[in-house]
Amino acid sequence: MVSSINPSLKGITVLIPGVLLSFSFDIYTPLVFLIFMMLFTFLFSGIPLKKWLLFFTPFIIVALGFAWMTMLYTSESFAGGEHLFSIWRFDVTTGAVMTGISLALRSLCFITLSLLFILTTDSTKFMLSLMQQLKMPPKLTYGILAGYRFLPAFRHEFHILKQAHRIRGVGRARGIKDRLEQMRRYAIPLMANAIRKAERVANAMESKGFTGSHNRTHYHYMKINKKDWMFFSVINGALVLTFVSSYFLGYLNIFGIRVG
Amino acid sequence: MNAKPLNSKQLLMEVSDFSFAFEEESPILNQLNFSLFSGECCLVAGASGSGKSTLALCLNGLYPDTVEGETKGNISCRSQNIADFPQGKLSQSVGVVFQDPESQFCMMKVEDELAFVLENQQAPRERMQEAIHSVLKETGMLDQKHALIHELSGGQKQKIALASVLLMEPDLLILDEATANLDPMSSFEFTRLIQQVRQKRNCAVLVIEHQPDDWMDIVERVLVIGKEGTLLADDSPDNIYGAGRPLLIKEGIHIPLSYQEDRNVHKNPPQMHGEKLITLQNVSFSRKNKSILQNINVTFHRGEFIAIVGENGAGKSTLLQLLARLLTPESGNVKLDGIPLQDWTERELRRISGYVFQNPEHQFITDTLYDEVAFGMKLNGEKEIDAKVQELLTAFQLEQFADANPFAISGGQKRRLSVATMLDDTPDILFFDEPTFGQDAKTTKELMRLITELREQGTTIIFVTHDMELVDEYCERVLLLLEGKTAFDGSPEELWSRKSLLQKARLRLPYSMRKERAYGIVN
Repeated sequence: MVSSINPSLKGITVLIPGVLLSFSFDIYTPLVFLIFMMLFTFLFSGIPLKKWLLFFTPFIIVALGFAWMTMLYTSESFAGGEHLFSIWRFDVTTGAVMTGISLALRSLCFITLSLLFILTTDSTKFMLSLMQQLKMPPKLTYGILAGYRFLPAFRHEFHILKQAHRIRGVGRARGIKDRLEQMRRYAIPLMANAIRKAERVANAMESKGFTGSHNRTHYHYMKINKKDWMFFSVINGALVLTFVSSYFLGYLNIFGIRVG
Repeated sequence: MNAKPLNSKQLLMEVSDFSFAFEEESPILNQLNFSLFSGECCLVAGASGSGKSTLALCLNGLYPDTVEGETKGNISCRSQNIADFPQGKLSQSVGVVFQDPESQFCMMKVEDELAFVLENQQAPRERMQEAIHSVLKETGMLDQKHALIHELSGGQKQKIALASVLLMEPDLLILDEATANLDPMSSFEFTRLIQQVRQKRNCAVLVIEHQPDDWMDIVERVLVIGKEGTLLADDSPDNIYGAGRPLLIKEGIHIPLSYQEDRNVHKNPPQMHGEKLITLQNVSFSRKNKSILQNINVTFHRGEFIAIVGENGAGKSTLLQLLARLLTPESGNVKLDGIPLQDWTERELRRISGYVFQNPEHQFITDTLYDEVAFGMKLNGEKEIDAKVQELLTAFQLEQFADANPFAISGGQKRRLSVATMLDDTPDILFFDEPTFGQDAKTTKELMRLITELREQGTTIIFVTHDMELVDEYCERVLLLLEGKTAFDGSPEELWSRKSLLQKARLRLPYSMRKERAYGIVN
């Protein structure tokens, strides 16, 4: 189960392919890795397929949009190849189509990697792991954790604020000036309350003996063991294999320069 | 009136000539001298703004370290100056439970919050489970060990706040208005819990509270702090609330109900049954597939003063929002003055009705008090706005702040302003959503006086509250919601006699009705 992998290492594991793939402008490399990542997600992540599709599907449209735009606006260096067709003033070449499809596949890889992380990681454990493994200062860690708790309260308060202003007879904002004025009216009470709350939480935390020092014990002791390194090796090993096979098959294209 | 220590217990905290001031302001605490002894229970009484909460933060060493402030004099804990304690150590001897249940935690889960405290003390990990288990058992929260804190009720949150403080095994437990934001039943339960904890641990307890009624049977000593931050009296409750009463009245400090024998409650306001104003027929409402109100049938009449009561989550606020068309019912219909509510124009509906929110700040939309009061009148296109605004500001004792920013005035003044903004045209109907929640006694009293006056002018008042004292004293009719249904609709007296119903709805009898019973709890 991916949810039991150490969050910091999991983050690094998915970040590496995310960065490296962005250099490959061919179709083969991201396609193979995407298929691998999807198989991995379905087989080992423990994320229900339905839930995953719910998050993933909207991004297909986004990725297609990216591809379309890139196809039309491909920069000179990639736009080689045969002239295929023209739309209005844009000439579309095979090079442009390839670049477009590649970008779409890369975006989908990135989404798949992100979903694997987001849908299997508990936010609290992620912060605790950043503190324990990557030595993030406790002040920052617990500050962010306390901030999580504010979000639902903030939304609730915004809702009440809108009601209260409606009662006062403030109509719907029309035009930019009105909207800015409305934003200001909402911002002041929300900020005033947020500052007060933040101060109270800070006082409460210090009263519980929190000093911000690294000298503390850990209830949730986060460690990195064999299983975590295995996860790292499988994902990044697959990435290396993808690149290598792409190279030997002659598809690999780094930044528009064919290296195969 | 500096009395001798009531018994010869061990000295715990000693405050000598202590003053505290925020930078370049007049002192909030002024030349305080007093001692606290181990195991005693002491109440700090004082009006709003007398620096009671600042005292709590000074005693546990948070001030002046964390703010720009200046201190004079000394505080010592077990004969050691608190300035000499290593960082984070003093808060272990002096634990504080604060007022606001919403902003005392930094973790999502109960278990993690308690662990946070243990981690701060560098307790070994193997011992944490056991410590968490035993403190949850002590506070009766064992079932909530894995619960999310934001899903707990206010009373449960305060118990978790208490549990985390108890993990530090404090010698002194400070309760800084810890029950002010709780409903009466939860507040009462919290005081009983403190009593148990104190018996078991024999720690000293310092209660800071505006309305300390529920604490009176535990309090052994009262410290009175005046508006200038000076200590005015230090004596037993009997002496303070007996002979010292004139002083308290002068300082605007609440006298516990148990000491108010001569309390004359002008109960039972005249029954004013006018014509039908609002009728609800089979009104239901649900949120995210969760039913909140089911088949509500009620009629409100002109000039009535109605309280809507019930437990948290019973649907009180939802009902009020439906009546004010802030929400639309899922089924059924609401009529105002015989016309379906949805057929009213927004402007006309807002002109004849008003709605006062729990937090007055939410209602403010302009930069000065004057504009705030004038806003509605300008919308209605009224004439002689200036004279009317002045009149309202004077009636609400706000005239000297006409040019001040609404956010910069005191809590009580904000409360008054929030009502004033609703009165641009005498409204036919006013809705109040827990307007006295977390307010001090003086503000509550003032607000109730204003409401009574409005009612005498013929305004219908519909009022959501937890406070049965108010219901008993002011309302002629009470509507009890229980699990989204009307469980009772009638006079307060009738409701007080329905014991099993009150118990089911977690309501507390008003003080005057409780007196006959041993502990004043429906049981």
